[in-house]
Amino acid sequence: MWGLNLPVVLVLAAIGGLLVWRRAHTLAWLLYSLVGLWAFFKFGFVVPIPQSVATIYLAITVLALVAYASSGRERLAETVQPIKRLILEPRHRLALAGLLVALPGLAAYNAYADLTMPLEAPGFGREIHPPPPNELTVHDETIDMATAENPYLHYKHDDPELYGKHVENGRRVYYENCFWCHGDGMGGDGMFAHGLNPVPSNFNDVGTLPALQSSFVHWRIAKGGPGMPAGGTPWDSAMPAWEKFLTTEEMWDVNLFIYDFNGYEPRALGQH
Amino acid sequence: MTAHARRRTQAAATLAAAALLVALPTSGQVDLGTEEQRAGGKIVYDKYCGQCHGDTGDGNGYATPRVQPKPRDFTTGTYKFRTTPNGTLPTDDDLRRIIEIGAPYTSMPGWPNLTSAEVQNVIYYIKSFSSAFENPDRYAEPIDIPRPLESTEESIARGRVVYEEQGCAACHGEVGRGDGPSAPTLVNDKGDPIKVADLTQRWTYRGGPTKEDIYRTFSTGLNGTPMPSYADSLEVEDRQHLVNYVHSLGDADDPNYGTLITAVYSEEPIDLQDGETLDALFESAPMTRFPLVGQITEPGRNFFPSVTSIEAQAIYNRDEIAFRVRWHDLRADTSGRNNPSLEVPMWDEDNGIGGDAADDSGDSDDFFGDFGGEEAPPEDDFFGDSGDDFFGDGGDDFFGTADAGAGGAEFSDAVALQFPASLAPEETPELKPYFLYGDAQNPVDLWFVNLTYGVADTFRSRGSDSIEATEADIVEAVTSYDQGAWTVTYKRRRSSRAGVSFAEEQYTPVAFSVWDGFNRERGNKRALSSWFYVYTEPSVEQAVAGPVLRAALIVLVVELLVVFLVRRRARQQAADEETAAASLTATEAPAV
Ligand code: HEC
Ligand code: HEC
Ligand code: HEC
Repeated sequence: MWGLNLPVVLVLAAIGGLLVWRRAHTLAWLLYSLVGLWAFFKFGFVVPIPQSVATIYLAITVLALVAYASSGRERLAETVQPIKRLILEPRHRLALAGLLVALPGLAAYNAYADLTMPLEAPGFGREIHPPPPNELTVHDETIDMATAENPYLHYKHDDPELYGKHVENGRRVYYENCFWCHGDGMGGDGMFAHGLNPVPSNFNDVGTLPALQSSFVHWRIAKGGPGMPAGGTPWDSAMPAWEKFLTTEEMWDVNLFIYDFNGYEPRALGQH
Repeated sequence: MTAHARRRTQAAATLAAAALLVALPTSGQVDLGTEEQRAGGKIVYDKYCGQCHGDTGDGNGYATPRVQPKPRDFTTGTYKFRTTPNGTLPTDDDLRRIIEIGAPYTSMPGWPNLTSAEVQNVIYYIKSFSSAFENPDRYAEPIDIPRPLESTEESIARGRVVYEEQGCAACHGEVGRGDGPSAPTLVNDKGDPIKVADLTQRWTYRGGPTKEDIYRTFSTGLNGTPMPSYADSLEVEDRQHLVNYVHSLGDADDPNYGTLITAVYSEEPIDLQDGETLDALFESAPMTRFPLVGQITEPGRNFFPSVTSIEAQAIYNRDEIAFRVRWHDLRADTSGRNNPSLEVPMWDEDNGIGGDAADDSGDSDDFFGDFGGEEAPPEDDFFGDSGDDFFGDGGDDFFGTADAGAGGAEFSDAVALQFPASLAPEETPELKPYFLYGDAQNPVDLWFVNLTYGVADTFRSRGSDSIEATEADIVEAVTSYDQGAWTVTYKRRRSSRAGVSFAEEQYTPVAFSVWDGFNRERGNKRALSSWFYVYTEPSVEQAVAGPVLRAALIVLVVELLVVFLVRRRARQQAADEETAAASLTATEAPAV
């Protein structure tokens, strides 16, 4: 459910319940919030969330907790009371000694884990939808990116039969050229996708095709990976420049087909 | 319970049982679904399956010319992955399995997003393509698949004996790398060449990697392919030992692809001619497996590369760095020609074995016309002597394209490592040359080995149409082919004036290309990888003890400080209270 790791979430909730039931001390609550949140981020999701995001949330939580604990003299005194007792009262001597040993041990382990972590290849971010040029020239024909549209899109209403022919031709082009990378069902998971970095775009995704104008998609199809500005890391993209293989009509047809297959419409002109 | 009530429960139970029977038709029973179900199946099929399996189910879809193995022809009723005996029809569950999880490393994908009902409907629809499914005699009960035996040494040893006795090695090779003597000659029922499974790479098994899958595969056979059924020749127990042997040939269900080669430092000199010492040196270096896919981005596309992964490792000493790569190839092709820029005519993108769709790119006149021009030996023919080869068999090959690979003489196996000609500037660490042979601004260096000659040639490349031989750096190489595995070891000085130098603690981009001559791969028709990295590990081992101790000490000091401060404060407070009390008594005293 929501990508959560249910057992972990349940255990955390149970501990919270226990604290309510035993009317736990403020300090216990603070520790619970911190450790609980850490455990939630680390183990609570089926697909772990990125370390950097988790760190930001944790840092905010720590600040909030410190602010809460020190929001009044009395509260502060109450919060640190157990710590003081641990340090001062002779009957806690053993626990104190244990803590004095355990914390440095933990720090040492952490440092060790950091040092012996398996190496990873450096990774760099990339712009997935880099800004397109103002004009696009394909096979000696120049179009204005802001106003151009798929020339066959209007057949959808004007001439469904002709529209169907263009879609079918697009289907041919797609299964002769694209599915190895973008996948048979267009999930970006074709049989070669595991060997590519960046991975091929997923056209099922509602955030991809519907958010793009058909001219943008045409630009990406015609000019491929190498046609992108540096922000898109063109040197890594396996996306072919299809003008080398396909006619302009074939490129618009496959453009039409990938929208049609997924039941999407291109973003309309002038819409932002 | 009254008699009446009892009767009622019994009736309900019978009804429920009857309902179950209807819902779960057992195999051996003709079940072609309802008209409505088949119609539902047609909708799914036309959207998701027809482009490969053909809109009429004949296996002739748009993708067919460019995939290998070919999509199943549903009109024949012949199926590979079955729990039913050789020659019989699959159960619905068999079909469901392949539709839901697909056949790895083929173009048949899994369809996990279809609902259970959609899958059932499409199964009914697929069955309607062949009249075999109407014939009760073609059905049979699934075979029993016993629980696998534990992989003890004795069991594996017995399995090895069975493997030899049954002649598996003739096709699969002595140690299972798919390199048996018959491997290059095999074709399926339709006459298409078929690749023998590499038993050492379980993740590529099309029917699944588990012991149960293996048992099923050779007990029922893969119908339509040369992979036979051994149900009649092997006792159940021997089959179980054989499963354990086959399973022992690979060491993992997953390829565990990596992204980094860690080059390990050694004091020793690196001598390529001293095989034993060299092997010992590489023993200490971790091995990483990288995925390879067909080059289908630039003309000269390779839609079905033979080689799907390559393993690599690296060592270095004060002056030199050495790389070792290893991959499996069904046959050593060491008589043909090859180089990174050999032309590949359009018609050869699908090995000339395509159907009609292959002609879309040019009609057959073009096809014949182009041949002479495009296939003429390049002017700057690199090795000088390949011209003979070309005139010797080029023409024959052309007319017999379907089995051109079988001769094997035309193109040789080859491999290349690719490095950027220079490292990225510090301001833009993400900058790399185009992974496909570099680009005009950012060239790459290729360390290319044509396995006909077994020596390394270096090329400076600024894109697929601008590849030039260079001699700026001397790269040495040694090669060997052993039971289906090529091993190539390269060596170069670590520092280079013209190309990239390998400094300590540096991440250097690296990419791989492999050509299988048998599959007519040459030039841009190759298997390739995206950019990965080599990391030259520091030569002095990083001390772990220091930083670990430091971390512990810092925390300890902070702790002691806190304890000390809290205690001092408490003591002070106590003292203050005492003096306060004392002064109180003092001030009070005179009053008394
Ligand atoms: C060799 C693999 C490969 C093939 C074949 C391929 N693509 Fe791509 N494609 C990619 C990769 C990788 C990306 C993502 C990187 C990028 O944006 O360049 C991509 C991106 C795209 C995008 C950009 C989507 C976006 O979100 O901006 C479009 C559109 C596209 N491909 C269409 C096609 C079409 C149509 C075909 C067939 C005619 C095709 N691709 C064939 C690999 C491929
Ligand atoms: C991109 C091409 C492609 C698409 C799309 C595709 N298949 Fe396949 N299919 C194949 C190939 C290739 C094989 C042969 C695999 C092999 O021989 O190992 C195959 C084999 C099969 C088999 C036979 C397995 C056997 O035991 O012999 C079935 C059943 C099947 N596909 C069903 C489907 C269904 C149902 C769909 C649609 C939901 C579908 N396929 C879509 C390419 C495709
Ligand atoms: C005549 C040649 C031949 C012989 C003999 C042969 N095989 Fe095969 N085997 C093949 C071919 C070809 C394939 C690949 C079929 C395919 O992928 O469609 C294969 C595939 C396999 C697979 C993998 C199936 C999969 O899921 O991809 C296993 C396991 C296997 N064989 C085991 C054996 C064993 C064990 C023996 C001996 C008892 C044996 N084979 C004998 C030709 C042979």
